Amino acid sequence: MSVSGFRMAAMVAPALGALAMGAGAIAAQGGAPDTWWYPGSGKTFAASQDYPNAQGTLRVQVEGGAVKTRGHAFFEPLGANGRACVTCHQPADAMSLSAATAQQRWTASNGHDPLFAAIDGSNCPILPQDQRASHSLLLERGLFRVQLPWPMTAWNGRPVTPDFDIEVVRDPNGCNSAPGYGPKAGNISVYRRPRPVANMKYLLAVGFVFDPKQGFALPLSPEDGRMMSGNIMADNRAGTLRIQMQDAAHGHLQAGKPLTDAQVRQITDFEMRVFTAQQTDAHGNDLSSMGANGGPNHLRVSAPGALGAIGTPVWSEFAAWEKLSPEQAATLTPKQLEFRKSVARGARVFREKMFLITDSAGINSRIGFGNPVRNSCVFCHNMSQMGNDVAPGQVDLGTTTMPFADSMPDLPLFRITCRGRPHPHYGRVIYTMDPGFAMTSGKCADVGKITLQSMRGLSARAPFFSNGLARDLRGIVDYYDRRYSIGYTEQEKQDLVNLMSVL
Amino acid sequence: MLRSVLTLAALAAPLSAAAADTGSLLRFITCPVYRDADSGKKSGCWLAEDPATGIRYDVSLSPHKPDWNYAVLVEGRTTAQPETPCGAPVLDAVRTSRLYDIPCTRHILPAEGYPGRRFVLPRRNPQPTSVPAPSFAGPFVDRSFTVYFEFGNDFLVYQYSDWLIQQAYYWMLSAKPKKLIITGFAASAPETVSGRVMAEPADLALQRAQTVATTMARLLPGIAIETRADPSTTGTSDAEADGIPGQAQRRVEIRAVL
Ligand code: HEC
Ligand code: HEC
Repeated sequence: MSVSGFRMAAMVAPALGALAMGAGAIAAQGGAPDTWWYPGSGKTFAASQDYPNAQGTLRVQVEGGAVKTRGHAFFEPLGANGRACVTCHQPADAMSLSAATAQQRWTASNGHDPLFAAIDGSNCPILPQDQRASHSLLLERGLFRVQLPWPMTAWNGRPVTPDFDIEVVRDPNGCNSAPGYGPKAGNISVYRRPRPVANMKYLLAVGFVFDPKQGFALPLSPEDGRMMSGNIMADNRAGTLRIQMQDAAHGHLQAGKPLTDAQVRQITDFEMRVFTAQQTDAHGNDLSSMGANGGPNHLRVSAPGALGAIGTPVWSEFAAWEKLSPEQAATLTPKQLEFRKSVARGARVFREKMFLITDSAGINSRIGFGNPVRNSCVFCHNMSQMGNDVAPGQVDLGTTTMPFADSMPDLPLFRITCRGRPHPHYGRVIYTMDPGFAMTSGKCADVGKITLQSMRGLSARAPFFSNGLARDLRGIVDYYDRRYSIGYTEQEKQDLVNLMSVL
Repeated sequence: MLRSVLTLAALAAPLSAAAADTGSLLRFITCPVYRDADSGKKSGCWLAEDPATGIRYDVSLSPHKPDWNYAVLVEGRTTAQPETPCGAPVLDAVRTSRLYDIPCTRHILPAEGYPGRRFVLPRRNPQPTSVPAPSFAGPFVDRSFTVYFEFGNDFLVYQYSDWLIQQAYYWMLSAKPKKLIITGFAASAPETVSGRVMAEPADLALQRAQTVATTMARLLPGIAIETRADPSTTGTSDAEADGIPGQAQRRVEIRAVL
C-alpha cells in the first residue's frame, strides 16, 4: 500500500507539532545568525576559528593556515540553486549542520535560503515549497533527502543486481510514490543527516587491509589503486572523496557539469586540512589543559587509523583528569572539578562498561564474534582520537530498522523481501526507514547498516544518528540503553553525556 | 526432530565422562547456549550439548562463534582442561559452524559463578598496516598456502583465515610470484551428523576460490590469478587446520608460481 503524499503529510502534522515543542533544548546549538557562512561570501577562512555552542566552544583549525574562499570550489555556489558545499557543512556546526541552525536560517530568510532548495532541502519537491511543513524533516530532524537509484549502483558506478525486493509501505512525503518517484520509477528516497567534513584523514585511514565484516581485503580506489577505508557516507556509496564530491555537486548543488580536476583538487585539499573538535566546555574549562588533549590541534598532529585496543585508548585524551592533583583541583570551582571528573569517568564507561550486543549485523553476523557478544561502546567506536571504526564501519545498530528504531511517522517505511537467504536477524521480510549499506551492496544481509560517523564536534551538530533519531546527547545514550538493555546508572549516563559534549 | 532429541538428552550426564577420553574427536549438531559470564570484553561462554551423550561442552574457543538463534555444527577435540571458566568440559581445538537453516530458541544462562575467559588476542591476528611487512630471504621456490572456512560458506574467518592470507601475502611481497593458482575445495561427500545428512554444495568449491581470488587481487594488484575447483572432499595435513579433519577439508589452496 502506498498513500498519496499530500494526505499523509496532513496526517503527520500533529506529530511534528509535538517535536517542535522539544526544539528549545537544541535551539541554543550551532551557528547563531552571525556565524552562518554564506556561499560565495569571499571571506577568508581563518586558520583557527572558535564558535560558541550550548556546551562551550567549538574550534575549527586549518592545517597550513588560512584559506582564501573567493573562487574556491568548496565555498562558491557552483550550481543552479545558489548553494555551496559550505551551505550544509558549516564551520559553526562542526562542518555539518544542526537542526537548530536550519531553523534559524528559515526564520532569518523567510524560508528563501538556498539551504531549503526543493531538490533535497524539502521533504519532497512535489510539495508546496513556500510552506514550513514541506521542510519539516530538515527543520525538525536536520535531514536532507537523498535519492538513490533503484536498482542500485556500486561505489564504482557499476550496476548491482539486488538480492531483495523493495516495496513502499508508508510514504508521508510523496517522494517514494508520486509520479517520477519511488522504486517503480527507478529510485528510492531516504532522509539523512549531513556528515561532518572535517578530520577526514581519520575517516580515510586504512588501519588493516581486511574488511572483516564483509570478509574480503579492502577494495581498491579506481583513482590511485590504493585501498579505500570504506568509512565515508552512511551507505558507503562513495569510496573516495572525488566520487563523493562529484555526487554532491550534481545532487546537492545542482551543478550542470562535473567538477573540473582543479576544483576536485581544491576541495580535496581543503577537506584534508580542516580539523574540528570542542575546545572549551560549558564551565569555561580549556579542554586541552591540566594534562588533557581535547581540541582539534591534537587531532591535526596525531597519526590516524590506530586501533585503540592495541595502542592509545579511545578518549584517553581526558585520562589526566582522573587524578588531578590537589593544587590543580584548588584552581577549579567545585562545578568545574566535578565536570572534569565526570568526563574522565565517561571515557571509562565508554570503554569499560560491558553489555550484550545482540542482533546487530556487521558485529553479530557474519563475522564470528558471536550473537550475543559482550563488549562496550569502544568495540565499534574503536579508532584512537576519533571514535569511528578502524575497519569499514557498516553496522546495523537498528537506528533505521524495525523493531529497533523509534517510531518516526514522518519518514518513509519500506518493506524489504530477501529473495535468497533470509536475513540472519530479521528473517525474510524487513521493515526499514533506510536500508543503508544495502542500497550500495545490493545485499539484504546489509539492510539497516549505517557507516559509523566520527564522534567529534557533537556539541555543535545535533540531532544525531543518520536519521536524526536522537535529539540530543542524552538521546544517544538512552537509545543504546534501550537497544541493548544496558542498565546504565543515572551517573553513568550523565558521565557519557559529559564526555560526548567535550569531543 | 533435533529439538526433541535435545530435550531428552538434557538431563545431565556425568561431566567426568568427557575428561576420561582426552583428544578424541567429536562432531555433532546442536542448539548453542550462551552463558553470560563476565570477565570483560568477549568473555562470555558458548556451550553446546552433544545429543548423543547428553554432555554439554564448552566450545568458546572456536574462532567463529555461534549465533544463539541457529544450530551449530560442532567439531572439536576433548581435553583435560579445567572446567572452571564456563562450567563444562572444554573442546580445544574446536569449530562451531553456524547452520542458518536450523533455527534455535535462543537461550541464555546466568554466569552462575563462572568467570568465563578474559580475552587474549589470539596468535592468529592480522597486523595493522602501520606494522611493516616482514621480509623473507630467498632463494624462493613455488609454495602453497592454505586458508580455511566454516561449514557451508566462503566467509573469511576473522583472526584465522585473514591471518593465514596475511602470512601468504607477506611471503609473496618478498618472493614476487608471477602467478597464483587458487583452488577451492568443498566437503561435498554426504556424512550423517546427529541424524542429519551433511554435505557442502559442490559449487561452494569454486565460490571459495573466487572469494580468495578477489582478496588476493586486491592485495597484489595486477597479479595473474587462475581459479580452480575441487569438490571431491579431500583433506590436508597442514597444522593450521588444528587437527580437525572437517576443517582440513573446507579450504582454499593458494599456489604461488614463481
Ligand atoms: C544540501 C546539503 C549538502 C550540500 C550542499 C553538500 N553536502 Fe556533503 N553531505 C550532505 C549529506 C546529507 C551527507 C550524508 C549523505 C549520506 O550519508 O548519504 C553529506 C556527506 C558528505 C561527505 C561524507 C563525509 C563522511 O564522513 O562520510 C563529504 C566528504 C561531503 N559531504 C562533502 C561535500 C562537498 C565537497 C560538497 C560540495 C561539492 C557537499 N558535501 C555539499 C549534505 C550536503
Ligand atoms: C554495535 C556497534 C556499536 C556500539 C557497541 C556502539 N555504537 Fe555508536 N554507532 C554505531 C553505528 C553503526 C552508528 C551510526 C548509526 C547511525 O548513524 O544511524 C553509531 C553512531 C554513534 C554516534 C554518532 C552520532 C552522530 O550522529 O554523529 C555516537 C555519538 C555514538 N554512536 C555513541 C555511542 C555510545 C555512547 C556507545 C555506547 C553506549 C556506542 N555508540 C556503542 C555502532 C555502535
